[in-house]
Amino acid sequence: MKKLLSVLGYGWAVITIFIVLATFIGNNYFSKKFAGATGVTVSPWFSGGEVTLVVEHGAYRVSVHRPVFDGLTGERSEGFVQIDWKPAGGLPRVVTESITLPDGERVLVRLDTATGIAEATSESAGVLGVERAYKLRDGWAVRVLLRRLRSS
Amino acid sequence: MKRTLRSFLLSLPMLLLTALMLTGGSIPREPSRLAALILTYLFFNTFFFLMLHKGRTDRYRAVLFVTYSVAFVIAFVSHLVEARGSMALTEANMIEGETPFCHVVIPMTLIPAALTKTIIFPGSITGTHASIAGMFVLWIGASLALGRGFCGWACFFGGLEDGFSRLLKKPLIKGIRPSWSYLPYAVLLAVVLIAAISLSPTYCMWLCPFKTVTEYVQVTSVKIAIQTAIFLSLFLGLVIVLPILTRRRTQCSFLCPFGAFQSFTNKVNAFDIRIDPDRCVKCGLCTKSCPTFSIDEASIKKGTTRLSCMKCGKCVDTCPKGAIAYHVKGTQLSRGILPRMLFLYPAFLFMSIMAGRQIQDAIVRIIRLVTTGSMI
Repeated sequence: MKKLLSVLGYGWAVITIFIVLATFIGNNYFSKKFAGATGVTVSPWFSGGEVTLVVEHGAYRVSVHRPVFDGLTGERSEGFVQIDWKPAGGLPRVVTESITLPDGERVLVRLDTATGIAEATSESAGVLGVERAYKLRDGWAVRVLLRRLRSS
Repeated sequence: MKRTLRSFLLSLPMLLLTALMLTGGSIPREPSRLAALILTYLFFNTFFFLMLHKGRTDRYRAVLFVTYSVAFVIAFVSHLVEARGSMALTEANMIEGETPFCHVVIPMTLIPAALTKTIIFPGSITGTHASIAGMFVLWIGASLALGRGFCGWACFFGGLEDGFSRLLKKPLIKGIRPSWSYLPYAVLLAVVLIAAISLSPTYCMWLCPFKTVTEYVQVTSVKIAIQTAIFLSLFLGLVIVLPILTRRRTQCSFLCPFGAFQSFTNKVNAFDIRIDPDRCVKCGLCTKSCPTFSIDEASIKKGTTRLSCMKCGKCVDTCPKGAIAYHVKGTQLSRGILPRMLFLYPAFLFMSIMAGRQIQDAIVRIIRLVTTGSMI
């Protein structure tokens, strides 16, 4: 039994060298496998959530993300919806976009690309205002703060 | 001569492995990159040879480890300034997934990942420098191979404290209660729970002292200003001042939640440090020298180190009776070279690959600074 444990111990110790080599040589491969197997994504609180609608406006396009209310379990009472405008070079001075919220109401988002000031106008009680506008590498993103209404 | 030849022969596999891993299969043509590669290769292998030849681990490990951390800071900050123009991280950078993922945040991501299948970190899953998946793979490999030896051999932050802790010959603050070393476990529990509830990496946002030398959120509000003051104070106190005064790694011992988390991987690791009770004369030198309070009377009685042991080898080098040694679990306690060699190979290899890239990059940037006046 002692001999078996010894063999297993030394064997395990030797394997660690191969583990180290595999960790670095196979990092790209294992990373992709890890990502695919787990199916994890970056939290929508950082990434803005999945894009659900793309609207082409000729020189630029608008990407509307899904509303984010994600909690650890269930949903939070407050969240946001992110709208992206890209590319920066194709944007006029002022851009506006009207989007439909889960409660069916519409919100009009207006962004001044020269000053970075954005505003959101809506009749919905679920719209709390603009969190802020973010100047991206090649465009702009605006997050509109939302309150989750009971019907949605 | 015989001993030198033996040390050289034992180093030979490392010479080959580091040649393979540092070059990645191709030799750079640009003179500065070639010089950096050669210098890094010689640097690592000289110290590995010395480790084997002199039979001392920690004093040579420390030189490499400190150099690694300094090089990491140079390379990381230069890279950021090149890519973004400053060390400051904007919210736009976070939205675009441009934040390099750091191993310290791993414990905080696990509960949210399990329950929501999302990673609460503003990085990218794959395809970027320090991607989330890439760092997870590194962490898993390090945990299987080294356990908490990661903290002693691979953590790119640890070398800063390690270096500061060696500035004075004797500590000015002594008699620190070892029970303080349980604090990181409390920090771990707190940040993991708060991160899960808030779905944001609490430790990174509020406590991480190493933002001082890597990247930090651009100060645009009072809240961020307070967070900045906190991490600057923690860096000054736990990474610079206290290590100098105590000759211990105080950030690792009293704060780091990742270190606490990584301690548990020592349970599934092949290696540990054992103390031979027949040789031990209870001089207490090992207890005084351990940078993370991982040896005490109780652990010496058990003949081993505590769970927080980083396997740095300082106690092994310090013991005047040779009573402490690296050990392979499942085997008999041995004073032969085999257990130590079996540990040193994966540990040193891991460090040389992780550190090698950073050190080469830092050397290239220093050459660029000397020749052009700018590192960027």
